[in-house]
Amino acid sequence: MADTKYLLYLSLLVLLLSGCQEQQNTPEKNTADTEKVYRHSIDGKPTSLDPIKASSVYSNLLVVNIFDTLYSYQYLARPFQLKPNLATTMPQISDDGLTYTISIKKGVKFHPHPAFKDGVGREIVAADFIYSIKRSFDPKNRASGAWLWQNKIIGLDDWKQAGADYDKDVEGLKSLDDHTIQISLLQPYPQLIYSLAMGFAAITPREVVESLGAEFGSKPIGSGPFILDQFNSEAAYLLRNPDFRQEPLDLTAEGYSAARHEGYGLEALADRSPPFLDRLEVHFINESSSRWQSFTKGSEIHYTTVPKDKQNTVLLRKDPIELHPKITSEYHHSYGMEAGFVYHGFNMADPVFGYHPDAAQNNKNKALRCAIRSAHDWQQKNRAFYFGLGTIFPGIIPPAVPEYDADLSTASIEKDLMAAKKMLADNGWQTQNLPEFEYHVTGSVLQKQFFEQMRGFLNQVGYPNQKIKYHPYPSFGNFNQAIKNREAPFFFLGWTLDYPDAENTLQLFYGPNQTPGSNNFNYQNPAFDALFEQSSTMLPSAQRTALYRQMNQMVIDDCVVISGLSRKKIHLWHKNIITFPDREIVGGFHLRFVDVQ
Amino acid sequence: MINEPAHSRLNLSLWQQSRQHFMKDRWGILGLLIVVLYLLVVIGVWFGLWGTEWSAISDDFNQGPSLQHWFGTNAIGQDIAERGIYATQVAFEVGVVVTVFAIFLGLLIGALAGFFNDTWIDGVLLWLMGVIDAIPFYLLVAAVAFAMQGHAWAMHLAMIAVFWTTTARLIRAEVIKLKQLAFVEAATAIGFNPVHLLFRHIIPNTNHLIIIQATIVFISAIKTEVILSFLGLGIKEGISWGLMIAEATNDIQAGYFNNFLAASLLLFILVIGFNLFSDAIQDALDPKLQKNHEKK
Amino acid sequence: MNSWWFACRKLIGGIPLLFGVTLISFTLMVYFGPDLTYELLGKNPTATAIAEVRHSLGYDQPFWHRYLMYVQQLITLDFGLSMVKDQPVTELLQGAIPVSIQLLLPGFIIGNILAILLAMKAVQNRGKWPDKTIMTFSVIGMSVSFLVIIIGCQLIFSSSYGLDLFPVRGWQVHDKNEQFSWLAYLNYVTVPTIALVLISLGYNTRFYRAVLADEVNKDHINTARAFGHSDQKIYYQLLLKNTMVPIITRTLFSIPMVIISGSLLLESYFGIPGVGLITYEAIIAGDQPVLKAIVGLTAVLFVLVLIGAEILYRLFDPRMGATQK
Repeated sequence: MADTKYLLYLSLLVLLLSGCQEQQNTPEKNTADTEKVYRHSIDGKPTSLDPIKASSVYSNLLVVNIFDTLYSYQYLARPFQLKPNLATTMPQISDDGLTYTISIKKGVKFHPHPAFKDGVGREIVAADFIYSIKRSFDPKNRASGAWLWQNKIIGLDDWKQAGADYDKDVEGLKSLDDHTIQISLLQPYPQLIYSLAMGFAAITPREVVESLGAEFGSKPIGSGPFILDQFNSEAAYLLRNPDFRQEPLDLTAEGYSAARHEGYGLEALADRSPPFLDRLEVHFINESSSRWQSFTKGSEIHYTTVPKDKQNTVLLRKDPIELHPKITSEYHHSYGMEAGFVYHGFNMADPVFGYHPDAAQNNKNKALRCAIRSAHDWQQKNRAFYFGLGTIFPGIIPPAVPEYDADLSTASIEKDLMAAKKMLADNGWQTQNLPEFEYHVTGSVLQKQFFEQMRGFLNQVGYPNQKIKYHPYPSFGNFNQAIKNREAPFFFLGWTLDYPDAENTLQLFYGPNQTPGSNNFNYQNPAFDALFEQSSTMLPSAQRTALYRQMNQMVIDDCVVISGLSRKKIHLWHKNIITFPDREIVGGFHLRFVDVQ
Repeated sequence: MINEPAHSRLNLSLWQQSRQHFMKDRWGILGLLIVVLYLLVVIGVWFGLWGTEWSAISDDFNQGPSLQHWFGTNAIGQDIAERGIYATQVAFEVGVVVTVFAIFLGLLIGALAGFFNDTWIDGVLLWLMGVIDAIPFYLLVAAVAFAMQGHAWAMHLAMIAVFWTTTARLIRAEVIKLKQLAFVEAATAIGFNPVHLLFRHIIPNTNHLIIIQATIVFISAIKTEVILSFLGLGIKEGISWGLMIAEATNDIQAGYFNNFLAASLLLFILVIGFNLFSDAIQDALDPKLQKNHEKK
Repeated sequence: MNSWWFACRKLIGGIPLLFGVTLISFTLMVYFGPDLTYELLGKNPTATAIAEVRHSLGYDQPFWHRYLMYVQQLITLDFGLSMVKDQPVTELLQGAIPVSIQLLLPGFIIGNILAILLAMKAVQNRGKWPDKTIMTFSVIGMSVSFLVIIIGCQLIFSSSYGLDLFPVRGWQVHDKNEQFSWLAYLNYVTVPTIALVLISLGYNTRFYRAVLADEVNKDHINTARAFGHSDQKIYYQLLLKNTMVPIITRTLFSIPMVIISGSLLLESYFGIPGVGLITYEAIIAGDQPVLKAIVGLTAVLFVLVLIGAEILYRLFDPRMGATQK
């Protein structure tokens, strides 16, 4: 009796659920008919969308779609090539390399906002760019991009000292007329132009920023191809900017080559003006299983990178990369190496592993660092954590930059237990007198596994377990704080390039940049610093590349880092989507070119 | 409402009866055996008899079970069986330390609060419980762990600080209920020392709640450790089932279940054993049930 | 005694509780909480840049000043902007709290009712196989990791590898006219609810069984049985009524947790923009305005629940109230 009743309830429930299932599919189809929606996914969450705070790749991805930058990167050309975006042409640079003159496009309008007259977006003028750069130097703003222009532009640092009054002029930032900008530098700064393609330099309207205050970061108004509609902790919903400037896509100018880009349907986009989408959704999905299931569902997200735990279902062969036919028949794919790398670093200011005032001890410490580097097995790490797809390279100039030296000796990335043991023995290191080895890192299961593998490597050269300590931090902020306060003798970090120039990684070892600056190693080498200063004002040339490589060798010889490995990403997207995704170097510019068939 | 009379609660040979009753409970004996077995494993790890190779890495990633690796290997080539065994010790340490302190604290404070119901003592203690309960659980645990950054016992302390309140509230409510029973009222009326009454007669009458609460806290402690370790606030040195399961959530999606199965199985068997054991104790300690059994 | 007077007195009694909660949580957050400074810094910061960020975050203000500001924010319910997201905290929570309630309520109710029913079944057959089976399953439920349950449910019910019945991620419960749609809601809430019930069932069943088992041996139950009342009546009326105190205690005290803390894992796996994720992110990032709001609101809610519990106790157990006079 009672059992029948339960059965009845159960069947009712099933009926109810299946009923709503049928219902649910209909509205979705309706929207699909009328508008083009593309659902992108990323594996982290953006924070503030104020350009001056866009320090993460996730924030940057949205910022470059909501705002305009003067320059951007060509859609398809690799290695990365700059192109004018809001600027009409590449800048005119004076012969001494100190003055940049940039003209901007006419008639480009901001998104509508009540703070504008009549609520209609007004035209962008040169003064908007100047205002946007100044914002990074306003101490009230908590901007994170000021390092790009610090001590570079005439009068900008003084403007900040004088109280950051936006009505006061900066000598090095002039608007010659409404559509011409002139930037004057203290010394030549060849990387300036790259900085103008970064989210940090995106153009913001003063009246909106002033009416919203800091809230601007969650209600951004720019002039980019998309307008932010909704933004929560799970996704950002963007709408097409109907007034976006008409710029027919020139595939050749964007670096199209049939060899690399055929078969994706990109040809159909030629001569059409982006953005092609009506709605762009960017979903923030940390959990790889959830992302994968949503992607393979078919009706949800359209794009994903292949998570580590799915690589064995997706990959048929690693070298050369070949995907499973089941995957290639259902999805488009592409793959590419990251513009960045992971590395282990020593804090040279720590007398146990780093510099020591006593010359003998100093040499001993160096031998210890070099022995640890020789004990480290990049191959095993690559196979365990990067599915064997990573590219291992010696030193700190990664393969993603043009200055990379493919012929550099690989001695510094080879595991050599014999050499390591010999080095320890020759320098008087025994199990008893080895110092305690602390491994500092942001706490997570994956990082703990990295640590455990590292401990295993060290065990093999006689480092006992009880002398190897795991030191996790609850958040990246805490970890970063410890590094900046020189509390972490050994750390594992990744570096993502801001622009395709090795200067971006070499500056990590420049003496004056010591912590709290970006030189987390507190590496101090006058010879290195001299070369760095010499090269920093040089335009790209064979001569500059030679200097870069010389610096690279110094860092390798001093055993400051165990470096490095550039990870490889495999992108998958649904067949009805036309795109060529890339998340490296200011990722996000490609989204305006996405189309739905 | 009918109130139960107080007879049989003060029976002096209660413990003897309970033991006899327990010995007849086959499931309870099984539970006890399991718990003892785990204890032996833990002692073995302590003395370095087994589980010594838990940290060694190798080139054989994600291997299936074999003679050499009973449960296979994990993503960085470590022996899962060795790790599971070693982790048993860690789990016991966390579970036991947290349970003992949290229950003791909860019992003491709950009994005091209940006994001095409606005095300022109760007020202050309730306030304290309220304050702790009102802060979201993980926030409080994270805050305590943050506050003691780097200390090996930070996680234990954080859990104890949070877990005792539930016990205290239950005990308090029970003590208030017991206090109103005829036998307590009578005892107070004829001038029994209240503290003596509390410790000799009221607290022992709450042991069924304590045992249940202890199992819940024990399991919660082991499982909370999973999440805290996940956040980098948990176990730092060594390995725990929590860490193994957390590691395994990555492996599962790639189709490797060894780590997950080994850790979950170890946890599951312990929990089952512990529960059978505690159920049996609960039954044995429950005078009413004994009477019922006798009737049958 | 007048219930209103009783409630008022309890409300006034809640003030010290609020004070304690805010002070303790604030102290922990101020002195030991995560420091946001180093999260916000640029790639090549200078010592002045650090000082500037600290100043703009208010870290350089004295403790009491900051605490009083906090109390003021609590009273005016204006917590300012999230430091990380540049969004007003009230706006953030207004969006997220209803979502979390909608997400967790069905699972919370079903989980508790189901657990009571199962516990009842177990107690009715105490020591026999239904009891042992139910308890074994509850232990299995307790030992399987939450993550695995969530991933499993998603795989079975939602993914194209499984039954493919429900969406994997999302929370589009409003239709185009911004009207709440029950069908869409059911569509999105079903799988998380199943997961939530599975997660909590083991713990709840075990707890309720213990409570009921304790009660079932009491003399009045035997008396009722002797008077020839049916088993159903005994179990569902007498027994339930008498065990209401622990049941209410447990249920009520999980409410603030359900509403405010939400369920981080459910939200992040099912892509639901609830308050659990916001809390977690705020903890990890050290977003103090958000943390302050969440801690403060939980405290207020908790005090309300506490008062509610006291009043309900009086309803179900008159003897408990009698001593309050």
